[in-house]
Amino acid sequence: MAKLKIEDLKKIKERVHAETALRDGERRAKITVHMGTCGIASGARDVMDALMKVIEEAGVIDVAITTSGCMGLCSREPLVTVELIGQEPIKYEYMDANKMRQVFKKHVLEGEIQTPFVLARGAEIVK
Amino acid sequence: MKLVNEELLKEFSQEQIVKLDAIIEKYRGKPGGLIPVLEEAQMVLEYLPIGIQKRIAEGLNLPLSRVYGVVTFYSFFTMTPKGRHTVRVCLGTACYVRGGKAIAAALEKVFGVKEGETTPDRRFTYESVRCLGACGLGPVVVVDEDVHGRVKPGKVKELLNQYE
Amino acid sequence: MKVFRSHLLLCGGTGCHASGSLAVKKALVAELMKRNLAEEIKVVETGCNGFCAQGPIMVVYPEGIIYMMIKAEDVPELVEEHLVKGRVLERLLYREPTTEAVIPTMQEIPFFALQELRVLRNRGLIDPERIEEYIARDGYAGMAKALTEMTSAEIVQVMLDSGLRGRGGAGFPTGLKWKFCSTSPGDIKYVLCNADEGDPGAFMDRSVLEADPHAVLEGMVIAAKAIGAHHGYIYCRAEYPLAIHRLNVAINQATDMGLLGQDILGTGFDFNLEIYQGAGAFVCGEETALMTSIEGKRGMPRPRPPFPAIAGLWQRPSVLNNVETLANVAQIILKGAAWHASVGSEKSKGTKVFALTGDVNNVGLVEVPMGTPLGTIVFDIGGGIPKNKKYKAAQLGGPSGGCIPIQHLNAPVDYEKVAELGAIMGSGGLIVMNEDNCAVDMARFFMDFCQDESCGKCTPCREGTKRMLEILTNITRGKGKEGDIELLEEMAGIIKDASLCGLGQTAPNPVLSTIRYFRQEYEDHIRNKHCGAAVCSALFKSPCQNTCPIGMDIPAYISLIRAERLEDAYKVLLKTNPFPSVCGRVCDHKCQSKCRRGKMDEPIAIKFLKRFITDNAPRPKVSPVPATRKEKIAVVGAGPAGLTAARDLALRGYSVTVFEELPDPGGMLRWAIPSYRLPRNILNGEIDDIRQLGVEIRCNVRVGKDLPFDRLGKDFDYVYLATGAHKSTKMDVPGEDLQGVWGGVEFLRAFNLDENAWMKGGKTLGSKVAVIGGGNSAIDAARCAKRMGADVTILYRRERKEMPAAGEEVTAALDEGIKIEFLAAPLRIEGKDGKVSGITCERMKLGDFDRSGRKRPVAIKDSQFTLSVDAVVAAIGQVPDMTFVPKDSGVVINKWACYDLAKDSKSRTTNPKFYAGGDAVTGPDTVIGAIAAGHQAAADIDADIRSALGEPAWEAPVEEKIDIPLIIDEETQEAPQTAMPELHGAQRNASFVEVELGFTRELAIAEACRCLRCDAEI
Repeated sequence: MAKLKIEDLKKIKERVHAETALRDGERRAKITVHMGTCGIASGARDVMDALMKVIEEAGVIDVAITTSGCMGLCSREPLVTVELIGQEPIKYEYMDANKMRQVFKKHVLEGEIQTPFVLARGAEIVK
Repeated sequence: MKLVNEELLKEFSQEQIVKLDAIIEKYRGKPGGLIPVLEEAQMVLEYLPIGIQKRIAEGLNLPLSRVYGVVTFYSFFTMTPKGRHTVRVCLGTACYVRGGKAIAAALEKVFGVKEGETTPDRRFTYESVRCLGACGLGPVVVVDEDVHGRVKPGKVKELLNQYE
Repeated sequence: MKVFRSHLLLCGGTGCHASGSLAVKKALVAELMKRNLAEEIKVVETGCNGFCAQGPIMVVYPEGIIYMMIKAEDVPELVEEHLVKGRVLERLLYREPTTEAVIPTMQEIPFFALQELRVLRNRGLIDPERIEEYIARDGYAGMAKALTEMTSAEIVQVMLDSGLRGRGGAGFPTGLKWKFCSTSPGDIKYVLCNADEGDPGAFMDRSVLEADPHAVLEGMVIAAKAIGAHHGYIYCRAEYPLAIHRLNVAINQATDMGLLGQDILGTGFDFNLEIYQGAGAFVCGEETALMTSIEGKRGMPRPRPPFPAIAGLWQRPSVLNNVETLANVAQIILKGAAWHASVGSEKSKGTKVFALTGDVNNVGLVEVPMGTPLGTIVFDIGGGIPKNKKYKAAQLGGPSGGCIPIQHLNAPVDYEKVAELGAIMGSGGLIVMNEDNCAVDMARFFMDFCQDESCGKCTPCREGTKRMLEILTNITRGKGKEGDIELLEEMAGIIKDASLCGLGQTAPNPVLSTIRYFRQEYEDHIRNKHCGAAVCSALFKSPCQNTCPIGMDIPAYISLIRAERLEDAYKVLLKTNPFPSVCGRVCDHKCQSKCRRGKMDEPIAIKFLKRFITDNAPRPKVSPVPATRKEKIAVVGAGPAGLTAARDLALRGYSVTVFEELPDPGGMLRWAIPSYRLPRNILNGEIDDIRQLGVEIRCNVRVGKDLPFDRLGKDFDYVYLATGAHKSTKMDVPGEDLQGVWGGVEFLRAFNLDENAWMKGGKTLGSKVAVIGGGNSAIDAARCAKRMGADVTILYRRERKEMPAAGEEVTAALDEGIKIEFLAAPLRIEGKDGKVSGITCERMKLGDFDRSGRKRPVAIKDSQFTLSVDAVVAAIGQVPDMTFVPKDSGVVINKWACYDLAKDSKSRTTNPKFYAGGDAVTGPDTVIGAIAAGHQAAADIDADIRSALGEPAWEAPVEEKIDIPLIIDEETQEAPQTAMPELHGAQRNASFVEVELGFTRELAIAEACRCLRCDAEI
């Protein structure tokens, strides 16, 4: 990879920012599985596996999956954030493979938030 | 590279020794290289008996006392072989009362080892722990990362048969 | 890339097309052209967003406002309002579906709302393995600024001005550390990152490394520039494989992009970074030990000076900072020193990350401004203690720190205050401990850790920690001696002074801090061989028995129920308790709070099982005990304390006379507790047994009126004063003298004297009754009033979980239709014609913490409200009535209107002829507390008599040996506590029939089988 110069930092920032904030609309949702050590210890890996599988089964290509570190609330792990485009992110707590499948089918595909599993909505930091 | 020590070949394969030598070679002359060598060597060899320490000392041109001192100082290093699987029996109060002791006895009987020891075939290392916080499932046995709850003494053998 | 000030993301999915999005798009483009906005605002047609029912949908960025069901004719208004005037067009806003409305936002959840995320600003937001996402959130901008715009001295100055202090524990100013090193001569220098987080219960650094590794790398480059270093190490524990993995990924990505390595960002500055894996030694968290370890040796500390700033790694000038410190650096450079100093307290600036663990609901990682009160962290962010247990202390700083007890919940957590309280900030491990933790055992646990981790280089630490551990272990095993506490303190001082490094210098802290706050627990272990928290198992047989004030052999009688040997079980009860059928109904059962089964599912229903025995087995016959001794003893007050003492003394051959002011014996059991909770025949049966022994009970005799106080002293050799606390505390509000205002116990006494008259209307309380208070008397009064047909409201100034009344009583009251107004306190009682007409209250909110660890109720301004009532019962507390004790009696009454006891005794008053116990000594307490006091007094009186006469101590007669079966199930199913069958419906609300019906045989045996038999020695 080419070595960066100062002005390149700004460009990357703008490009990635556009990617994450001003989305180009090719994706209907972004799902973040929080995978710190605590998340993994409480089963985030199973949740991720189930998610990948159900996405494959559904033949859906417009959903972005990312991982992220610990959100801090380790006692409620595994935690998953589902963000449908244009909607507030929804954070689900105590997830497992079954719940993940249900959330994907009902919330991501049909837009129906699975309230019983929800921890909260919105972002932790108000930008 | 000098000839492989006969003693070492009793416990380790030729291939392992070649790997060890490569590790030593990588860090030779590098300041502070001893601990990374030991860490990588233990990954390959699983444990670091005195013969291995001698070889590392010679390879890095360090006194054996220095290598031995470091190996015994850090809890990460072990001089005796650990089993391929670690079996931990919870002897916390709830598990104890619900038969943890009986599980421990069964394990000792089946494999002929005591707490802290490893089976001769190096399949299992058996340890006891105080409380794993899984009291609702007691008695609890943890094999590697898997938690097994409500274990009965009669089922210990069957349970461990899953681990090769 | 062309820059637009706004993007309009219009859905172009099939659904939205069908609902007209093409027309909307056309209208948008036209409108933008018309207003000359086409160059500033971009219209993007997106794929389906899945929300087709609400289409066409458009999202306006950067605000992220989402508009729904837009029609072409809405477009001019939308553009005018939102894009020209910058106002959101409300009528087209997205409406929350009903299910979502009930979901709180992140900011509504106290766990998140009260945090201030600076170090953790990227947690959960970025993919830590994609450097671009870090850069997108201003990553490496601080480093770019430092490398291009700032001199080394300027960087140091910003750090000094920011007030940032080392987050690893010691709190040394980071800027100062850098300054020393930058001015230290030498061309080779090192920047080191301490990621050897070894405290049990601390995982802040791991989380930062896992969630935001670049923040640490960036901080290290800035540090390198500040001191003039070109090489650095991250010393990370091998136990953190994921952190090491992510660091490696981060270093590789940064190096590839030219953000690390040679000629960073084209500025000519070089900095190379390596990860060094620790091999598992706690002492390597100490800076000189860490450096020795990187050098490939045993990680032992070196004496300082020379300090690492002069001669650190490989004897070169070095700076070592911990992960959290470094993660602060880039933002300080970018946003300025003043920004960092804008939060925090006077001398501790910025935020602190805590790993919140232990007995707290929200275990997790929290970042709060320095100076946030401890109680806010534990109770608001942490969500309090699970299972409504009581907070005992929080351990700060792990094995090097100390604990902060309940009376300091308001303490602002910053370096100064924490040190003043005897703990240290440490790296941020905050372990919450509830009442089930033993202070001595905790100290022993941490000392065990330090002793194990001591590297052995210096003698004070190596030998000192071992000796201290030995003493602590002895105390927890019941082998403690007088002088042990002082010896621990002395050794602690020496180890702190004489140890080489931080490990030894801080190792005694947990011991010193537990002695400081819990000295009486140490004394209890040493003198009474008693561990109140039921942790030190060598000191007791079972936690329940250990917790019972009279030490009832609970596992024994539960076991006998299982064996269906109820008569034997009854005998076991009577060995220690003269009132088992009373206690089976109204005991506060502290035993159940410590039941080990409770850790698994729910505690054993010990109280109900006790009652089952007395309900179902014949009461063992009692024969009179002849008076064999000449001493005559008077007992004043026929409550549980007095009657227990009378019984014990009679069993020892004394002749005892009990004087009772009221027409029948029983004290509070009869005159306060209503009969639906304690049927009178049950109480009478137990009191009859005491009479049967030969105790004379003389009712309707008030000492001081019917019998002069000094006559007592003349007619009897010894007097036991168990006169209780029968006077209600005044509320001190206007209108308390109106007709219709009752004290709680006064009302209950009047009611219980003539239950029939009240129930049949001969006497009336009122039709609308307000009861003030949250204790058992308040609930009793309310439930009685309800049974008379009144409309009852309880007013309590705090919240339900703070009510001192038994939880099951509160539930029962609510079940019976009693209203409870929480957070309301009376201001005045309104009257009309001398009678109560209403009560005016004000609303309260909870403020800071009082010394009992409960939040103080504070009045809310202008929140008054008036309830229209015709009776008020004030049950806010009780005090003893001591008017009958003459001033010259030698019996001293203290400022709480209770008897003062002699210094060396648990029951003798200041006049050696008089003993005292129960509520009249302790203030209002429990039945079982009173029984324990009665036992104590009888034993003391007997022992004093015998020792004065030079007689040997009393020996209890040999008792019939009851064999206790030991059945332990190999397998126990999880099962909740067996519920008590209850009376329901009209019969309950209008009568005084007992509400709790008692266990059936099947229920009792099932419940008995749940017992884990902690007393058994296998």
